[in-house]
Amino acid sequence: MKNNIDIMSKIVCFSFFLLAFFSCKHHENEYHSITDKIEAESKNYHGTSISSEAYIGDIKTIEITEGMHTFLIPERKSQIKSYACTECHTKPLTQMQSKDLKKAHWDIKLDHANANTMNCVTCHNPDNTDDLKSLTGKSIDFNNSHNLCSQCHTKQFEDWKGGAHGKRIGGWAPPRASMTCVNCHNPHKPHFESRWPARFNTQKVKERE
Amino acid sequence: MSDNNKKWFSLNLARKAHKSTGSCNCGKTSGGCGTSSNSHHMTDDEFAAAAINASIGEERTKDGFEQVFDVKMDRRTAFKKLTASLLIGAGAVSTSCSVISGDESKEKAQIDWEEQFKGNYKLMTDEEKEATVDRLVRSYQLRTGKTISMSSKNAEEDVLFGYAFNISKCQGYMDCVNACVEENNQDRDSQMQYIRIHEMKDGKGFNFNEADDNYYHEVPAQGHFYMGTQCFHCDNPPCVEVCPVQATWREDDGLVVVDYDWCVGCRYCMAACPYDGRRFNWSKPEVPEAEINHNQHYLGNRMRKKGVMEKCTFCVQRSRAGKNPACVEACPTGARIFGNLLDPNSTIRWVLENKKVFRLKEDLGTEPKFWYFMD
Repeated sequence: MKNNIDIMSKIVCFSFFLLAFFSCKHHENEYHSITDKIEAESKNYHGTSISSEAYIGDIKTIEITEGMHTFLIPERKSQIKSYACTECHTKPLTQMQSKDLKKAHWDIKLDHANANTMNCVTCHNPDNTDDLKSLTGKSIDFNNSHNLCSQCHTKQFEDWKGGAHGKRIGGWAPPRASMTCVNCHNPHKPHFESRWPARFNTQKVKERE
Repeated sequence: MSDNNKKWFSLNLARKAHKSTGSCNCGKTSGGCGTSSNSHHMTDDEFAAAAINASIGEERTKDGFEQVFDVKMDRRTAFKKLTASLLIGAGAVSTSCSVISGDESKEKAQIDWEEQFKGNYKLMTDEEKEATVDRLVRSYQLRTGKTISMSSKNAEEDVLFGYAFNISKCQGYMDCVNACVEENNQDRDSQMQYIRIHEMKDGKGFNFNEADDNYYHEVPAQGHFYMGTQCFHCDNPPCVEVCPVQATWREDDGLVVVDYDWCVGCRYCMAACPYDGRRFNWSKPEVPEAEINHNQHYLGNRMRKKGVMEKCTFCVQRSRAGKNPACVEACPTGARIFGNLLDPNSTIRWVLENKKVFRLKEDLGTEPKFWYFMD
């Protein structure tokens, strides 16, 4: 009997001894946190064979480089209904303003900031309607309209460059293609209307009665 | 898969030219082998129902014949297992011996047999994975006449999926929920949804007790913000730890997945998940034929059955092909960001490194790969 207890205690001691060795890391490849795992495993990142190129589809894109970021955005000029503007605006705007001529752009009501801050010519160039213009009068191509928005919306611009603001086109994999400002925001009326949610779960209501 | 690799006995029901004497293998040469071949002929639905009922709540499918029976079990378990397997066998034999049943029903019976004795998906070789996917596609075709495509694509090297959710951008439109239900063939009867959008009062913090996840009024509502929850694909998932049959696991690309054919429906994982990420099929999931998404993955949106768990898989059928999950694609606000955490140039990495991110219940040590952030 005494012998048995002796053996038992030895076994118990030995198993504690083993535990001390093996208990801390019970899984292979375990990192202290997910951040450690990401850091360690991305050190040898070689890229993947997965590409989202096929999912960008027929959208015509242009490549832009802003700061550290290079990515694709949709081409804009071919999507504007009546581009080039100079097809109608044959003369500078000051010479075209008269009561005899038909009123143009009647469907556009500017609702962007207040009238003290902005009017048409804050962004449009009255002397060359084919281009936009910066606050200091520099020409900005319609395809690069984000450079116009970024003059005031600096925070959003930073987030958009990094990918925290705006929507991706195609998939998650490289090459990165992102919507540009005017693909979601109407530049003349940039805020969104409220709307109804896409669904209502009637079953959930029943279950919770 | 070649026959000599199989872990179970094969029936070869549908193979012609196996014996020239007749369509069945029972040895008789004339008049068919059954006494009255249609006396014991079940319809597909009856047969499936009987087989499932005989084994529900138990380990329904097992890794090969020996692994089913060569384990210690009590008499009741043994009997249940025998019943389930015998039903499959009986179905197979009755169709194989029937003169009336055509090649198709024999093939169906063979598929049922092989599916009954297939192993856990996690342990399958790539060939076995392909074989089971082929069987399921063929079985669906035989039963409905419709062709689906099902993938068994494995995790890609150098990929770890992560998700970021911008709570200042979400407007509560719930377009993501709709897209998710349609993409993942979720049960329309019970209106199952993986994603919940919580409408929370400004200034109250993340108070889930007072949040409303089933609102129906114009959104965004004044004085509220919206926060979506779904499966967070934890790196240290408690649901995986508790599964008694290892029917759920974390893949190498970080996705936590379920083998619906191995799940026994005990719902331990549902209880273990601190985020309400898992859903249970209390009844047979019903999806109108016209609405079924035919682009499927074994671990993702293939049709489930009664009594198994399911959950968000970050749309494995899409994400492993390079697409964004359906919720990301559907969101009109750009509040949802998805990508490869191991790619230093990915947008998700930029968000994690440059925005003030947080996760839900971080103190639990579950390490969710789903971050929230604000503008």
